[in-house]
Amino acid sequence: MGRLRYTISRLLQAVPVIVGVITITFFLTDAIPGDPVQIMLGPSPSAQQAAAIRAKFGLDRPLYVRYFSYLASVVQLDLGTSIYYQVPVTQKIMERLPVTMYLLLASFTFALVTAVPLGIVSAQRRNEPTDHISRVVALFGVSTPSFWIGLMLIIIFSFWLGWLPSTNIVLPWTGPANVGGASNQLEVIIKSLQHLIMPMITLGTLQMAAFTRIERSSMLEVLGEEYVKLARAYGVSESKIVRKHAFRNAQLPLITLVGLQLTSALGGAVLTETVFSINGMGRLIITAVQNQDYQLIMGTTLVFGLVFVIGVIITDLSYAYVDPRVSFDGSE
Amino acid sequence: MATTTGSSLDADESGPEQPEARVGLRYTLSQVKRDPTALVGLGIIVFMTLVALVGFVDGVLFDFLGDFDTFANMGVHQYVLAETFWVNPVNDPGNAQILRPPVYLTNQLYPNEAGTWAHPLGTDHRGRDILVRLFYGTRIAITVGIVSTGIALILGTLVGAVAGYYGGWIDDALMRGSETLYAIPFLILVIAFMTAFGQKLTYAMIGVGIATIPTFARLIRSRVLSVREEDFIEAARAAGVRDRDIILRHVVPNSFAPVLVQATLQIGVNILIIAGLSFLGYGAQPPTPSWGQMLSNSRQYMLPNAWFSIWPGIAILITVVGFNLIGDGLRDALDPRINN
Repeated sequence: MGRLRYTISRLLQAVPVIVGVITITFFLTDAIPGDPVQIMLGPSPSAQQAAAIRAKFGLDRPLYVRYFSYLASVVQLDLGTSIYYQVPVTQKIMERLPVTMYLLLASFTFALVTAVPLGIVSAQRRNEPTDHISRVVALFGVSTPSFWIGLMLIIIFSFWLGWLPSTNIVLPWTGPANVGGASNQLEVIIKSLQHLIMPMITLGTLQMAAFTRIERSSMLEVLGEEYVKLARAYGVSESKIVRKHAFRNAQLPLITLVGLQLTSALGGAVLTETVFSINGMGRLIITAVQNQDYQLIMGTTLVFGLVFVIGVIITDLSYAYVDPRVSFDGSE
Repeated sequence: MATTTGSSLDADESGPEQPEARVGLRYTLSQVKRDPTALVGLGIIVFMTLVALVGFVDGVLFDFLGDFDTFANMGVHQYVLAETFWVNPVNDPGNAQILRPPVYLTNQLYPNEAGTWAHPLGTDHRGRDILVRLFYGTRIAITVGIVSTGIALILGTLVGAVAGYYGGWIDDALMRGSETLYAIPFLILVIAFMTAFGQKLTYAMIGVGIATIPTFARLIRSRVLSVREEDFIEAARAAGVRDRDIILRHVVPNSFAPVLVQATLQIGVNILIIAGLSFLGYGAQPPTPSWGQMLSNSRQYMLPNAWFSIWPGIAILITVVGFNLIGDGLRDALDPRINN
C-alpha cells in the first residue's frame, strides 16, 4: 500500500472517533442543567423574546433532530453560532486556535529537544551521577502539577527578577502596530519569545519528563540488543554506536508516546492558559462552559478531538521515516 | 489507531517469556523490598495515608462532637483534632491573622508582621492556618486518587477483558469507544461531565474515573489477547466453563501484574488531574480544603505573598512522587528484562 492510500485509510479510521467525540459532547452538553436563553437575556426574559431566541438557534426542535442536523452542519464545516458571543463558532475558534497551537508546538519542541539528549545520556551512563540526576528530574517532572510550575515561574521570573512578562502571548506574525512597544517585526518576534518561555516550560515539563523516561528505557533496551553487542565487539566507539546503530530504533516508543501525550497536553493547555491569562482555546472552552454556550462547547471540544486525532496520525506516519522496517501494509 | 494502541504500554509490560518463578505477588514484594527508592515511595504513601486517615477520623468526630451553633458564622470547616491538640486554625475575628507569613520569614518585606509558631506556614487570605489546611487536604488528595483509579480500574478491566476475550465486532465497538473517550482531553471531558451532572467532588472522581477507562481497557485487552491463547483457557472452555467465569477467574487474574503497576502510577496522575480541576474551580468545593483549591486561592495573593503558593504544590508533588516511586519499583520488580 502506498503512503497516500495509507494516509487516506488512517483518516477514514478516524471518522468514527470524530463522530464519537461529537456524540459524547452533544449529549453531555445537552445534559447541562439550566437554560442558555436565560443567561443571554437575563433572569426574566419575556416569553416572546425567549421563544424568538430558541427558534433562532433551533433549540425548540427535539433532541434527535438537533443531533442529526448538528452532524450534518459539521460536515459542511459549520459549527453553529456562539449564543454568548453572537458570532460563528468557527470564527471564534480561528481567533483562538493559532495561540494554542503555537504554545503546544513550542512546548513539544522544548520537551523533545531536552528529553532526547537527557534520555540518551542517562542510558549511556546508567547508574552514574548523570543518570541519577536525569531520573530525578524526570520523576519530579511527571509528579509536579503543571499549573504550580507556572505559578512558581511567575513568582521567580516576573515578580522577583522582573525578566519575563507574566501574562498573555503574542504571536510572532502579529503586525508591529498591534503590539505595544514594538516598532518592527523583529521586536515583535523577540517579544513573542519572551512571552512564550514560561508557558512553554509550564506546559512542556510533564511531556519532557515522560519523554525522558521512555527515551532512557528504550535506549537501554536497544543498547542491550545483539547487534549493538556485535558492533561493540568490533570496536565501534560508544558514541558512534548510539548515533549510527541505536538512535533510530530507540525512537519508536517515543514517537508513539508523543502522539498519546497530545491529549494530556491539550488538557494542560487549559491550565497553562488560565495561569498566564492567555486567550487560547483552553480558556475559550472554560468560558464556554461557564456561559453554557452549547455550540461553542461542542465546537471547541470537537477541535480538540481533531487536533489529537490528526496528531496521532502524523506520529503513525512518521514511524515509517524512522524505522524502514515498518511498511504501510503492516508486513515486514 | 491500531498501530499505536497499547504499544507504549507493551514496552513496559512483563512479556510472556517471563519465567514461572518470577511471577506472583510474593516475589514482587520481595523485589520491591530490596529497592530503596520504592521503599521511600512506600514511606511517603504510608505517611500520607495516615495523615488522610486522621483527617477522615476528624470528619467523623466532627459529626458527633462538632458544635455547629458556635462555629456557624466562621465559614470554615472545623477541625476537632487540630483544635484540641494543635494550633488554632480558626478565623481570627480581628483579621489580624490574614495572610500572616510563615515562621521562617522574619523580614519586613511582607505587609503583615513576621510569622509566628502558632501558624508555622502562615495563614491564608481568610486567616486560616495553611499547615492545618494542607494537613486536611491530604484526605481529599488520597481519596480522589484511589477512588477515581478504582473506578477506572474496574470499568476498564471489564471493557478490556470483554473486548479482548470476545474479539470481533464487540472488540471493535468497545475499542473505538475507548479511543473516542481518549481523544477528548481528560480535563475537558471531566469539566463537561461535572457541568452536566453537578460540581461535586464525587462527580469529579467519577468523571476522572470514566475519562481514564481507556488506559486500563487497552492494557487489559492486550494482556487478554495473549492469555486467551494459553492452554489452560482452552482447557477451561473445553470443560464447559462459562465465558463470564473464564474471564473473571482466569483471564483477569493473569493480567494482574501490569495492571497493578499502571494503577499505582494512575493514582498519581489522577491526583494531578483533580488538583488541576480544583485549581479551575471544579474540585472539592469550599470550605473543604484541597490542595488544588488552595493554589487557586493563592493566585490572587501570591504577588507579593509568594510563600502562599509554595506549600500546597510541594504537598501534591511529594504525594505524586510517592506513587510514582512505588509504581516504578513494582514495574522493575515485575519486568525481568530491566533486572540484570
